[in-house]
Amino acid sequence: MSTEPGPAAGPAATPAPGPEVAPAPGVEVAGVPVYRSAGLGFRTRLTLGLIVAAVLPVLGFGIVVLLATGAAGDASSNLMRVLLFAVAIAVVFAVLLAAYLAADLGAPLRAIARSVERVSAGDLATRLELPGDDEFSRLAESHNRLAGDLERRNRELRRILDSLGAVTLHERPEVLAQRAGEQARAAFGMIDCAILLVDPREIPIEEPVPGDPVPVRAELSVAGGVLGVAVGHLPATRRWEHADQDLFELFAIEVSAALRNAQLYARVEDQNRRLVALDEAKDDFLRGVSHNLQTPLASIRGYAQQLAAEAPDRRLGIITEQADRLSRMVRQLLTVSRIESGVLRPRLEVFAPAPRVRRTWEALGAGDVPFTLDDHSAGWLALADPDQLDQVLWAILDNAVRYGGHTAIDASVTVDSGAGLVSITIADHGAGVGDDDRDRLFLRYERGAGRPSGEGSGLGLYVARELCRAMGGDVVLEPSAPGRGAAFTVSVPAEAAEES
Amino acid sequence: MTFRSSHLALPDRVAQAGCARVARCYPRAMLHGGPGPYGVAAPRILIVDDDPNLLVILAEQLRADGYEVQTARDGEEALRRLAQSWPDLLIIDMLMPRMDGLTLAREVKARADLPIIVLSAIDTADSKADLLEEVAEDYVTKPYHYPELRARIQRVLRRLGDRVPRQRLNLGPNLALELHRREAIVSGNVVSLTPTESRLLYALAANLGQTVTTETLLARGWADTEDADPSYVWVTMRRLRQKVEIDPNKPVHLLTVRGIGYRLVGAAAPVGS
Repeated sequence: MSTEPGPAAGPAATPAPGPEVAPAPGVEVAGVPVYRSAGLGFRTRLTLGLIVAAVLPVLGFGIVVLLATGAAGDASSNLMRVLLFAVAIAVVFAVLLAAYLAADLGAPLRAIARSVERVSAGDLATRLELPGDDEFSRLAESHNRLAGDLERRNRELRRILDSLGAVTLHERPEVLAQRAGEQARAAFGMIDCAILLVDPREIPIEEPVPGDPVPVRAELSVAGGVLGVAVGHLPATRRWEHADQDLFELFAIEVSAALRNAQLYARVEDQNRRLVALDEAKDDFLRGVSHNLQTPLASIRGYAQQLAAEAPDRRLGIITEQADRLSRMVRQLLTVSRIESGVLRPRLEVFAPAPRVRRTWEALGAGDVPFTLDDHSAGWLALADPDQLDQVLWAILDNAVRYGGHTAIDASVTVDSGAGLVSITIADHGAGVGDDDRDRLFLRYERGAGRPSGEGSGLGLYVARELCRAMGGDVVLEPSAPGRGAAFTVSVPAEAAEES
Repeated sequence: MTFRSSHLALPDRVAQAGCARVARCYPRAMLHGGPGPYGVAAPRILIVDDDPNLLVILAEQLRADGYEVQTARDGEEALRRLAQSWPDLLIIDMLMPRMDGLTLAREVKARADLPIIVLSAIDTADSKADLLEEVAEDYVTKPYHYPELRARIQRVLRRLGDRVPRQRLNLGPNLALELHRREAIVSGNVVSLTPTESRLLYALAANLGQTVTTETLLARGWADTEDADPSYVWVTMRRLRQKVEIDPNKPVHLLTVRGIGYRLVGAAAPVGS
């Protein structure tokens, strides 16, 4: 705030704000001419001016006549009255004429004002018709040109926005650049326009030659750097104003952003394709491994069973069991890979859970370990992937035999009808799980404390839990209880076995 | 049976006769739940696997059960054998040199709708197993348990009698079945079906509008499951209703015939109108 010490300002008084320094009429402030009116309208001022211009000489003449006749004596008072009357008539005429002229001069100004208002309100089709060849018609002309330019740039902007809106990310950057060039040509009315994805310094700047097509140019850059340059030519007759260049550069910025997006997208797509290919290669590899391991196992198993059928031998049973064990471990590794890729796809079927537990136990071939199965699931059927549940049960039962130290194993099947779950609890009578192990039991590659690393894969419980969770169930370690070793509960969804 | 002689001359006629010829194969196969002592020719199985040991063992196991078995070491040999005579069923390995199982299965299906069981080390959770569903009737993983494989063979041979067309079956405005793809289209949404669910719908669709007993459905759906009982059918039908009916509590397609079985019917008018 600019303050000036006013005449009334005492030392103790608060300095009053001084009058704002108003620029004198006609003074340019930052290049914009500022005019201050005297507080009266244009028409009033014009009228007053005309009246003054018309009346003052008449008044002067009257005064001169008055002085002259005053000196000549009273005889001329008659003439004076006539004169005064004439002056009055002249004044009235002058006022009327002034008012008419002012109105005549004000009308085109009002029309221009109305038109500017409409243009500024967005009606760019407004044009002024002022015939003649005076300042007003020239003013109208430049107003019309202004409105026309605004309209054209608006149109260009809309075309540009439309064309940018049509840009899709899936386009390759080169295709996008080509299309953007065509759109710029159409939008700006160019003869030609190309978007070159090269260093702009490689493209020499063309000098305009009068009569030749006008070269235009804008760099394409984003925050990360320069992407290229847009170059084109305009018809020689076409005006290319500062605003047009601004618009062209705006277009270049938008195209740069779209190009950068397309480049990033193409890179992501490329990486995705590579990942998919890698994933497929991994799947193929695992498929091959599985095939190459399982095929000989199938033969071993088949021959052993054939021999056992001819001449029963306990050792043949062991061969079959061990072949099964090996084949299960191969499957377990494959399952881990699928868990990691998040592609477990359980196929839910309905079946009675208890017979599954019994069968899995028998397949385990631990005939020397006492086993009891307590089934409380009558009237309910499990809803699970039989194959996956088989893997889960096998892992838990196998653990119970190994870590239970061949103590008796009790399995019980119960139903939580409220939650719609069937639970299979498998408990051994071994040492149980130490507190240290509880937390990391279900982690990958973890074995119980003190277990030799050669024993088990460390994957059983991890795989079992993930498989169960994928089926909408879970595997949990029950709290330790006296007289019991480790107890795991496998739960999967269940449904009541009623006719419906 | 006169069947065998016409069978041998088949390859030349396949192109013209195509499906009609194949369709005539099925009633014969249908007679066999498995081979029986009734004097009819034993079902013929072609095993294709690159492991000679497996060919020997499986062939012996199947022969012991009365099947007539041929073997092929790869896809090309299999196609050569097909050119000579047609089996009732193929057992195909997935990973084989030169021509993989999927390609072979497609080649076979392009010639005729012969039933195929895939026997592979690739388990059902593999993404490739999905592709097989289009061309294979069933899937058994290696190392196989022979009794289970035999049960599946019997089931596939039996199921040939109630084959549904390999096209969309429209049952009403809100339900269509594409059983060869294991899919139901419910109000325009594709719902995938489990193998058992589609087997039951196979059986019901083949007897559209008629009651199929619970026992029949049980045999169709759980031929290889020892401890299956009618409750398996009940629960599976309930789940099927939840999948394919707009209002599972007011079914319009899958109807219960209490105490007897189930019926699949088409609905003429949209539900609720």
